[in-house]
Amino acid sequence: MKTIADRLIEDEGLRRGVGRLTPEKIQKVFKELVAGECGARMKTYMETCVRCGMCAKACHYYMSHKDPSYTPVAKVSQTMWRLFDADGKVDPEVIYQCAQVAYTECNLCRRCIHYCPLGIDTGYIISVVRRLCHKLGVTPQYIQDTAHSHSATMNQMWVKDDEWPDTLQWQEEESREEFPGLRIPLDVEGADFMYSVIAPEPKFRTQLIYQAAAIFHAAGVSWTMPSTPGWDNSNMAMFSGDSEIMARVERAHYETAQRLRVKRIVMGECGHAFRAVYDVANRWLGWKYHPVPVVHSVEFFWELIQQGRIKLTHKYADPVTIHDPCNIIRGRGLMDKLREVVHFLCENVVEMSPNREHNYCCCAGGGVINCGPPFKNVRIVGNSIKAEQLKATGVHTLVAPCHNCHGGLEDIISKFGLNMHTKFLGDLIYELMEKPE
Amino acid sequence: MKRLPFTRLLLPALAVLLLTASGAFAQQDMTHVPTEAFKKLTRPPAAFAHDAHNEKAGLTDCTACHHGEKDGKRDPASDTAGIPCADCHAVAAKAGKTPLERAFHLQCMGCHLTQKKGPVTCGDCHKPAAK
Amino acid sequence: MHALYDLAVGPLAWLAFAVFILGSIYRLMSMRALALKKDAAFVAYISWPHAIRSLLHWVTPFGALGWRENPGVTIVTFLFHICLFVAPLFLMGHIVLFDTFHGWSWPALPDGVADTLSIVVVAACAYFLWRRLSVPEVRFVTRSHDWLVLALVGATFLTGVLAYHRIGDNLFMTTLHVLCGEAMLVAIPFTRLSHMLFGFFSRGYIASEFGSVRFAKDW
Repeated sequence: MKTIADRLIEDEGLRRGVGRLTPEKIQKVFKELVAGECGARMKTYMETCVRCGMCAKACHYYMSHKDPSYTPVAKVSQTMWRLFDADGKVDPEVIYQCAQVAYTECNLCRRCIHYCPLGIDTGYIISVVRRLCHKLGVTPQYIQDTAHSHSATMNQMWVKDDEWPDTLQWQEEESREEFPGLRIPLDVEGADFMYSVIAPEPKFRTQLIYQAAAIFHAAGVSWTMPSTPGWDNSNMAMFSGDSEIMARVERAHYETAQRLRVKRIVMGECGHAFRAVYDVANRWLGWKYHPVPVVHSVEFFWELIQQGRIKLTHKYADPVTIHDPCNIIRGRGLMDKLREVVHFLCENVVEMSPNREHNYCCCAGGGVINCGPPFKNVRIVGNSIKAEQLKATGVHTLVAPCHNCHGGLEDIISKFGLNMHTKFLGDLIYELMEKPE
Repeated sequence: MKRLPFTRLLLPALAVLLLTASGAFAQQDMTHVPTEAFKKLTRPPAAFAHDAHNEKAGLTDCTACHHGEKDGKRDPASDTAGIPCADCHAVAAKAGKTPLERAFHLQCMGCHLTQKKGPVTCGDCHKPAAK
Repeated sequence: MHALYDLAVGPLAWLAFAVFILGSIYRLMSMRALALKKDAAFVAYISWPHAIRSLLHWVTPFGALGWRENPGVTIVTFLFHICLFVAPLFLMGHIVLFDTFHGWSWPALPDGVADTLSIVVVAACAYFLWRRLSVPEVRFVTRSHDWLVLALVGATFLTGVLAYHRIGDNLFMTTLHVLCGEAMLVAIPFTRLSHMLFGFFSRGYIASEFGSVRFAKDW
């Protein structure tokens, strides 16, 4: 049977990383990691998995390839079990394989939780493999670059401190033509909420900032954005295994909100960022829950609609389907609010199957898309099941309130010739709403 | 009170007579542990040929099995040969008493385990009747 | 053979029960201590209502997505686990041993029913064996450990059924059955059979996270 060893992809970051390793060094780091950061969860998962294989059908990689080496349990088998069996004393080449599996063949989407009767969290196990690879310096070049950027600039895309407010002011200026009174309020202390986005928005999706500002303007809400680092809510360090940088980024984010004394943080339509802010970094920083309330756009738009702050000129006529992003559905249970928003905006909604918590992953999240071009084909070919699922809806518009999902879905739409286009909720609301003079 | 002499004299005499007769009958022709006391049998009766067993086991002392009772304990000194086990060991025994099924199991398995001879497993005693 | 049988149903049985019970308690308590020491940031989210709600779904056949998507495994797994517990606990032969030597007795299943349940366990083991050999995704992750635990359970029930049907030398088969059963009991706390101890907790934990933090179902 084929294994990860039969499909290795050359990556500069991984190759150079393993070049610096010896089995002894790997063992030392592995043992430190297990003793220092792993506890009863890892021990239980390692000791009780009965290798029943029921999780196979959970994973879009397996469902697309039908290759047994892509099942969730097979990924653990090819990584963590190998390490534990050898007490961490493995050949550097094994670490290369572990890294490729962990960074590029698992999206940490947690769909397999719905399949394992014992509730084994494969996403967690794979995260620990990534943590080990990070500690060993074996990370794919592209995602490591984003982690470096987080480290140096507190944002993912090397956006410099002056470029950020520049971009916001540029978008404000742009929008003045359409909305003469529009402001993108910077550093307004005591505003109702701080709006935070991911760094790709100012870098190459500035229209999303424009649209958000337009929606907030139309809704007449009290909001602000920080002009300082701490504005980026994305967190690739979380996915590269660099928990220290992850925590620094989120501390800056929370503290920026606290400095501005806002009531809460509203986050743009991104899934992984929400996971980092809502579920992961708070724990690393020692908060049971986040120190500032955190709301995802889906929920925020839902609130605006409930309060009657968004009025439509018309509803979107073409049938649409909804993609449920893992990090806000399995990660926050926003499936009903997402539907209510989409039904408010669109005449005709065709559900895909399976959906809600059981939805198939976009295959881009979990840092996989951020591993860059070397691994692009793997994640696209590895999600033919999603293409089939999309195709079966027969619609041409796909609503996906998550950046990574957009990236992944656009790729499979183009690869499999699906004749669809993806939309954010913000795209639809901006397009359909009554715009103030 | 009127019936006292009758019960005192006649009944034991009758019993001795009956039991000796049935005992003599049973000893020679017994093929199974007697099961009449059980309402319903869940397994085939345990094979037990009285004379052949004793000959093979070299048993001459009846009290090896036919024991009596003293202060709620087994009394090997009293010989109860001829009295049906079920007379003392009720099927549904009171607390502190040994019910019939347990008595049989203890009697056979206990001795076989001590002697390291003879059947001890379910299937070696409870065999379906040969056809 | 008598001596071995005597040993198996006597001292070894006590040893096996002791190792099983004390070993299980030790494993559970030490895992709890480890969780409190090292996983505090996760133990903090444990929510019994959510755990119980999820477990109720998972102990219901076809009550979770994984069960529905694997119908064959589901049917066999449920039958297997129910029979695995019911047959030995309410088997007359077992109760009789306790009754004879310790005076403990409880209601027994009719022999025919217990026999059927035991045969179901053996058949389920055969199904699991077949899966390990022939289903690629199972075979890919099967290790010698998995064969061992399957063999322990399979052999225990197979020898039990054979002994009941008086196939083979009864004393030998029964002794083998007792020894296999004891090996299985001893193995529970220290092998993958420990999912019997930890499974409810690992499921309950993730159910708590899904229920109380992520507001999503985990079944």
